[in-house]
Amino acid sequence: MKNLFLKDMQYRRARVVLTALGIIVLISLILLLGGIMSGMRIQAQQYVKSTGADIWISAEGSGGAFIGFSLLAEEYMAGLNSAQGLVPDSASPLIFAQARPNIKGKPTKAMVVGYTLGELGGPTQVVEGRMFTQRQFEDYRPEDDVPYEVVVDEKMGLQIGEIITISKERVRVVGKAKSLMFVLDTPLLFMDVRAAQRVILENTPYINMMVAKTRHKQLQEQIGLNAALQTQDQTMFNINNLQTAEEVAANLDALDTIEARSLNQTLSDILEYWVDEPMKAVQFLRVMLWLAAGLIVGMITYVTMLEKTKEIGVLKAIGASNSYIILLLLKQVALISLIGVLIGYCLSYIFAAAAPIFVKINFVESIIVACISFIVCCSSGYLAARKAITVDPMIAFRGEIDSAPIRYVDMQPVETAATQD
Amino acid sequence: MAIIEGIGLTKRFGFGDAAVVAIDSVDIRIEEQELVMIMGDSGCGKTTLISLLGCILTPDAGELRIDGAEIDPLHHDLSMIRRDKIGFVFQMFHLLPYLTALENVMVAMDIAKTKTYESQNRAIELLSRIGLSERLHHRPAQLSGGEKQRVSFARALANHPKIIFADEPTANLDSRQSDNLMNLIQELRQEHQTTIAIVTHHEGIKQNADRIIQMKDGRIVDV
Repeated sequence: MKNLFLKDMQYRRARVVLTALGIIVLISLILLLGGIMSGMRIQAQQYVKSTGADIWISAEGSGGAFIGFSLLAEEYMAGLNSAQGLVPDSASPLIFAQARPNIKGKPTKAMVVGYTLGELGGPTQVVEGRMFTQRQFEDYRPEDDVPYEVVVDEKMGLQIGEIITISKERVRVVGKAKSLMFVLDTPLLFMDVRAAQRVILENTPYINMMVAKTRHKQLQEQIGLNAALQTQDQTMFNINNLQTAEEVAANLDALDTIEARSLNQTLSDILEYWVDEPMKAVQFLRVMLWLAAGLIVGMITYVTMLEKTKEIGVLKAIGASNSYIILLLLKQVALISLIGVLIGYCLSYIFAAAAPIFVKINFVESIIVACISFIVCCSSGYLAARKAITVDPMIAFRGEIDSAPIRYVDMQPVETAATQD
Repeated sequence: MAIIEGIGLTKRFGFGDAAVVAIDSVDIRIEEQELVMIMGDSGCGKTTLISLLGCILTPDAGELRIDGAEIDPLHHDLSMIRRDKIGFVFQMFHLLPYLTALENVMVAMDIAKTKTYESQNRAIELLSRIGLSERLHHRPAQLSGGEKQRVSFARALANHPKIIFADEPTANLDSRQSDNLMNLIQELRQEHQTTIAIVTHHEGIKQNADRIIQMKDGRIVDV
């Protein structure tokens, strides 16, 4: 009779459903939290990668680009453009600052990105409308007119020609860029570096950072574009003799007034500062949820076991071995856990799609998390089920089997004992 | 030949001054196909004695032989002995509430790892024999007390036991049900050539016994 455990589960179906429900909620939360973190990691990196720069420079003591407060004078650019290992004149000014633009009368979170059109730091084309107008003069002159134009993220729902207010300045939306949201769906507003200096830095001649490209990366890109170059020994010789981004960054970092990081170092800094550090509490919460899932299964198995003490005693009295009893309970635990984990897994994808922020559930990670969750639930159930083997079969000689209220719909009228015997 | 034999069986519960000697150096011998009734006042040790003989409890002293083989609790798997050689019938029937009458009989064979189709056939055969062919798919809550006790007997017989121990099987039945059950027990004993030991203090059924063992204060006082 292979379905004995199923019949027992059917009999106690309210408990089964509640246990599974608990697991479903916890597993989907565990996966969803993982998806939120994963989404944050993706968003934290995508803008930085999209710029094409592999050297990021910030003010000394800022802790690196995107980390601490950084103000740089643009004059540094001159020296940077002739630095060894960098593509000549590739260095570009960049303003990257948190803002609170007023959009349709509501203050909204956003990042203002000020850069020079056609250089590193922002998109070169739009998906709708046009790019913002470039400033007329290269040098900073506070009295010059600047074009208050902005290219917004396509997912912001703004229309071309719409006016938004940033730091009391009215800025016109002229284009929409391919979505490049920053951490936690923070939209990026791209504008000319001078306009950004006006709205964010109160018309001062400073920038937050500078970005540049190494000759090493430039040559790598050329090889990527031209397959024929890959076979040329001279090209390989050249690339091997060029300083890598890490080496260039180390040389620049030795200067007293700036901090320089390679792309990889910058990505690592961003992940640590914007995702890993703030998400420590979430990681802790995920572990707690795992424990809670295990605890739910363990407690309910234990309570079920207590409720079935007499039943277990009878089974032992009629010859059931300890392994038979444990297996009977474990099959139930495993099935409930499996159902809970599978439904929780599917629900997490549905929740992720409906979430108001970007959630990216990693398939491999989610499978691993689901497997671990299943093991945690089963182990917890096993520990509780082990208690069952301590039940004394003598219990069968006294009292009745405690039974749940009869719920069967197929109940037939019972004939009286007198008419039967 | 004795199917079960206990020599100097002793069982104590508790420790030190609080220790109670439930069975005190009992010698007992039950022959093959015998119907024995163990009688005595409440608390005299009847149930403890059949628990010792049925390998549910282990004696503190004494020797137990079942079917000629000495039982050593330290070296024998007692659950296997209960499964293969012994059947139990309980006062409160103890049928699993979520199983039908048929499944309740089959579960004993499931424990003994009998193939499903074999156990199903035997369960149907046993239940039909005891007059429950129309009640195969009824759950305990849908059966009368007498029917439950008959299912309980069918479950005890399922694995062809050498001996069946029944603990107050008629305690929850009226006199008519009790008589019917005792008649059935007699018939089943003949058909299955099984030994049956019944613990009871129901005077009305003792005429069915081949032998009556009278107990008092953990000792056998009369056979």
